[in-house]
Amino acid sequence: MGDLFSDYELDGFFDEVFEATGVRPHYRGVLERLRYLSSDDLERREAIRDGIFRSAGITFTVYGDDDGIERTFPMDLLPRLIPANEWDIIERGVVQRVTALNRFLEDLYAGEQAAVHDGVVPRWLVHTAEGFRREAFGIAVPHAARCLVSGVDLVRDHRGTYCVLEDNLRNPSGISYVLENRAAMTRVLPVAFAEQRVRPVDHYGPMLLRALRSVAPPSAGENPLAVVLTPGVYNSAYFEHAFLARQMGIQLVEGRDLVVDEHVVYMRTTKGLERVDVIYRRIDDDFLDPVVFRPDSALGVPGLLSAARAGNVTIANAVGNGVADDKALYAYVPDMIRFYLGEEPILPNVQTYLLWDDEQRAAVLDRLGELVVKPVAESGGYGMLIGPHASDEEVETFRSRVTEDPRGYIAQEIVALSRHPTLIGDRMEGRHIDLRPFAISGEQVEVIPGGLTRVALTRGSLVVNSSQGGGSKDTWVLQAEGPAKDPDASTVEREV
Amino acid sequence: MLARLAENLFWAGRYVERAEDTARMVDVTYHTLLESPQGRGSQSWEQLLEVLHLQELYGDGPIEPERAVEFLVIDRDNPGSIAACITRARENVRSVRELVSSELWESINDLHLTLRSRDMRQELLDQPFQLLRWIRRDCMTIYGVASETMPRDDVWRFMALGRLLERAEMTCRLIDVRYGQLEPVLGASPRAAVGGEAAMGAGRTDFHHWTSVLKSASALEAYRRRYRSSMDPADVVEFLLLEPDLPRSVVFCLAGAMHQLEALSGGAPSPATRRLGRATSSLQYRDVTDLFDVGLHEFLDGVQDQVGEVADAVAAEFFRHQPTGAMHAIATG
Amino acid sequence: MRLDIRYTTRFRYAGQVTESQNELRACPTTDDHQWLVHYDVTTFPTSRVQSYLDHWGTRVDTFGVRLPHDRLEVVASATVETGSRSQDPPSMPLAAYDQTRFRDAHLEFLQTSGHVAWGDPVAAAAAECAVRAGDDAIDVIMAVQESVAGLEFRAGTTQVGTPVDDVLAAGAGVCQDFAHLAIAMYRHLGIPARYVSGYLFTVDDATGEDRAADEVEVETHAWIEAAIPGWGWLALDPTNAQEVGERHVTIGRGRDYDDVSPFRGVFTGRQDHELDVAVTMRRLALEPLGDIPGGFMRQVAQQQQ
Repeated sequence: MGDLFSDYELDGFFDEVFEATGVRPHYRGVLERLRYLSSDDLERREAIRDGIFRSAGITFTVYGDDDGIERTFPMDLLPRLIPANEWDIIERGVVQRVTALNRFLEDLYAGEQAAVHDGVVPRWLVHTAEGFRREAFGIAVPHAARCLVSGVDLVRDHRGTYCVLEDNLRNPSGISYVLENRAAMTRVLPVAFAEQRVRPVDHYGPMLLRALRSVAPPSAGENPLAVVLTPGVYNSAYFEHAFLARQMGIQLVEGRDLVVDEHVVYMRTTKGLERVDVIYRRIDDDFLDPVVFRPDSALGVPGLLSAARAGNVTIANAVGNGVADDKALYAYVPDMIRFYLGEEPILPNVQTYLLWDDEQRAAVLDRLGELVVKPVAESGGYGMLIGPHASDEEVETFRSRVTEDPRGYIAQEIVALSRHPTLIGDRMEGRHIDLRPFAISGEQVEVIPGGLTRVALTRGSLVVNSSQGGGSKDTWVLQAEGPAKDPDASTVEREV
Repeated sequence: MLARLAENLFWAGRYVERAEDTARMVDVTYHTLLESPQGRGSQSWEQLLEVLHLQELYGDGPIEPERAVEFLVIDRDNPGSIAACITRARENVRSVRELVSSELWESINDLHLTLRSRDMRQELLDQPFQLLRWIRRDCMTIYGVASETMPRDDVWRFMALGRLLERAEMTCRLIDVRYGQLEPVLGASPRAAVGGEAAMGAGRTDFHHWTSVLKSASALEAYRRRYRSSMDPADVVEFLLLEPDLPRSVVFCLAGAMHQLEALSGGAPSPATRRLGRATSSLQYRDVTDLFDVGLHEFLDGVQDQVGEVADAVAAEFFRHQPTGAMHAIATG
Repeated sequence: MRLDIRYTTRFRYAGQVTESQNELRACPTTDDHQWLVHYDVTTFPTSRVQSYLDHWGTRVDTFGVRLPHDRLEVVASATVETGSRSQDPPSMPLAAYDQTRFRDAHLEFLQTSGHVAWGDPVAAAAAECAVRAGDDAIDVIMAVQESVAGLEFRAGTTQVGTPVDDVLAAGAGVCQDFAHLAIAMYRHLGIPARYVSGYLFTVDDATGEDRAADEVEVETHAWIEAAIPGWGWLALDPTNAQEVGERHVTIGRGRDYDDVSPFRGVFTGRQDHELDVAVTMRRLALEPLGDIPGGFMRQVAQQQQ
């Protein structure tokens, strides 16, 4: 296997590429290709990759430093491969989970709140969740497609089982990396790509647009107008907002481009006001409508919620989804699946402990150093405790935080995340990875084959978030054996 | 197109033009001073500030040439400075990056970055002419790049419209600044000084002054071809105001603006086209010698006001759906 | 008692403003103690008013005026029938509040909220009331009520948003302050309490004066409700140290002022404006319908058949 893998160690982790007896079958083709690459070749291909990303301006902003720093999200040269049979489980599991979450949210905000009334999800938990928006009460969404775009973070444990780590139902970002990674990969490793029969991802734009149009209010007419709403050029994900608007061929607008008149939303154009039917917004709830939420926000559109309530516009993702990706409610998602769908969850949760339960809290505090503790309302990997990697002092800080605010945290067993060979310098080393597949809810829920594979580039680190020094891999979902066909062609009309 | 983006394009066009024309005016003032008697410096700069409506921002106190030049070229606290105009032009283009060619974005971004990275103060001291020439050339590069890379659609039209209206105003100011500076040299009222005999028998200094005006409007060669060696202020003013084929003449700019406006509003007459039409015709049929009698300065002010009204009408027609003013929250019991 | 209520909000702006978008919560609710006979909202400039019931069950009227205008007038007119209420909850030990099920069902009204966030001074004052009153829950509730009612009513001393600890320290405030302070003390003691927005016939909140007349100018009023396990909500008016009865007209209930604020909105333009808010209440001569609840609701139902 050449020099690249000369000292490669499994270290007892589940490895995506190697099993005890050698290379897993679905990776053999790609590794065979890599074998022919000299270190010069690798360098050259890395240079090609870097050029592509730089010229596309694919960057994200890291917060927390004095001023936001623009960084690229480094993509590893070795792709992550998922065989068809594994993808089948992931796809069905994600569809099932997102369907249940959509049903729960629609029921909570615009229905009978059955899950709450029947005690499946504690009422107090909902009422105290930071993402719960009473202001969204009474606003229904067609097809209950409240999580129009969602990202379900999956990890594989030491046995290789895919588990759900968290749900991202508000404004999950990262899909632009999926498409850009793929575009770069087909140029960096064209032959390996061509040999593998990888399922395409480039129909994402049309697919998203179709979903957006499908949730247009009935009053919208034959040809509903959808727009992407961004906070503006200074937002860390602006690149992605512009990218998505371009992929869909629709207008990218800011709040000040929209105006509400008689509970109808319009876009201000040089030819006058033009009615808007669906808003794919990348602005957080609190900034969406200053009449209802933060009155000092100039990013949003005054009167937007009233227009949505009147059935004249659909806001996607729906307002208040944060209640369901609260990490405390995460623990109840398997019950939601049973309750709303009458099915057993296909993808299990990671073992989670609820810290407001006195017994569970006591047990957790006894072994805090072995667990992961997460604030319930944060995302992006901020504010976590990873017990085994933390100093005694950090552990004690979390002990007092949890004791003071048991509602604010959950604890989870540490998952020994699977590892994947990743090019570090001029050789391969095992690095922990996760997977964020993206689901789109319209008339039904669909999953883009693949998703964002994030890599914890620091040796031994379990944190894969882009804001925490992570990288990414292009994710190749392989087509099933058998006659060559494009399974996506049947579900999505390709737009030329 | 979104009204906001159209407005940004319009202002991108205006700001690049404003930067370029400010460079031209600073340049011409500098030139003149080199050939003027000692001690006239502060007065000339004062007149330039006045014509640019910047004297208030400059503040009270003596006007020192060095400080004035810095103020006009690199002072970022002065929104009319060249550096500030380029920054604002870039901000406007940045917000419409999705609409314009990447070459346009790169050219304006490059100019912005260069202005930020170089030691402008030193260069202004050492090589003012080179610096100003370089800025002018880069501004023209931006137009050239835009012109060669962008389709002639509404995106282009709004930018061109902004540029042409700005240039019409700035050419008026360019004439005005020289005219104002001329006045004390001749030691009499403008009317007596430039009209009638004094103008006809323009002296040597005067000759240089008007030459530099024409030069700064890139119009000297064209003027010579038309008028040979005669340097009559009335001819110069007429040339810069009314010459239909001169790209920096006011009439040329207004005709170009009309062309863009008509395309933008689909040929239908609108308050903006009507105002523009009025402004153009009130110019076209002027006898320039006449102008010196009524007061050229007042006349130029009037033209600028008319152009300003056209810009207002453009805003009302195309950008009017933008709210004016800040948003306020209210809560009462 | 049958009351006509006219709630008028008038803005006069310093210049032309545009894109005004607003929410009004002024409509009397229908519940066991009162019945809404009639309600309508008109605006000038005219607008399409869209109404809905919010999460708390309060009717919200939303409307906007996009085109330039220099004044905005909103008139909400209501006719409402109110009845007296029985307010004799059974006595019970404070420990009754400790049941998990009860607490979970009322958690929204036990936690801090925007205007009900208290510190040590309020906590101490609440604890003192509890010690003074002993173990009976109703006694504790009344002790807090008396303690808050002991504050001085003083218009203009505070604005909505004054922290409850500051209200306590100042020893004075307006009805919203009294309500927030009482709620904070109840919540500190583990007694769920909620904020009630409404109108009060004859007592003027601007002066605190009670005028006996058939038509009066007043301001909107605020009082509170405390939960009693197994019984319901006990309404108390800490501002006037009086029982909540047929002169009180409820608009809505929430965690604090923000959940039921009568008017909120935004507009674009110059900020300077004059604001004039007026509430006129008129008593209508009418045969009493009988005691509320019970008989009242039955009669209502009969009338509607």
